Amino acid sequence: MNKFSLEQRSNGNAEIIYLNGFLDAHTAPQLESAISSVIASGKHKIVVNFRNLEYISSAGLGVFMVFIEEVRASNGDIKLAAMQPKVFTVFDLLGFPMLFDIVETEEEALEKFA
Amino acid sequence: MENAQTSTQAVFVPARLNAHADTTELEKIRTFIGDKARACGFSEQGVMKITLAVDEACSNLIRHSYHYDASQQFFVDVDFDNNALVIDILDSGAAFDPMNIPPPNLKEYAEQHRRGGFGVHIIRMTMDVVEYLPADDNHRLNRLRLIKKVI
Repeated sequence: MNKFSLEQRSNGNAEIIYLNGFLDAHTAPQLESAISSVIASGKHKIVVNFRNLEYISSAGLGVFMVFIEEVRASNGDIKLAAMQPKVFTVFDLLGFPMLFDIVETEEEALEKFA
Repeated sequence: MENAQTSTQAVFVPARLNAHADTTELEKIRTFIGDKARACGFSEQGVMKITLAVDEACSNLIRHSYHYDASQQFFVDVDFDNNALVIDILDSGAAFDPMNIPPPNLKEYAEQHRRGGFGVHIIRMTMDVVEYLPADDNHRLNRLRLIKKVI
């Protein structure tokens, strides 16, 4: 399996983060650092595209927990898009769909921010 | 017709993986467990859940028992017994009994900006049996045993 990497691009007032590989206790700090930088730049509308993420553990889920309240307090959100079923299973195990906006596509997430 | 359970038990090779208390080892551990789970005949969904449980247990160990001391080692043993995959995670770190951890409260954790606290819940939800035995006079290592039956 490929190790973790991420890419970013801006779309209007939203920032899209693309995840690749796996998110575990070793690689999760990289995502945390990336989201922290996005928020520090003044952007609070974040879409995370999971299309190329093959695996996630609770360390990865925990990254979103760190920032969700903060972005929502600033009228933003972190929307989670395009998860593979095996990745969604982990979010579902912990009840994350009740707290997070998990959508099928990046486009759907961006429409919600428009 | 040969019994599938007997057949798997006959060909399954128990194994031990040595790992350092470093999160860079998690990928190696997941590969090891995944291969063993597939050899038992678990579906990919089952393999994923078992791999995740072991990842969570080892991540907790590295963080809470060994405090990221990469000079320390722990062991992951796998065996197949009575139509079940038996995984023992053995360590000499500070005892960390997962059975005493309460279930997570998502809303509360979000308010606290809390990044951890989910691993034990995942282990309990994905494995059929979770047992913890701290080290004592007869066993010098703490043992976390995770068992998943092949359906």
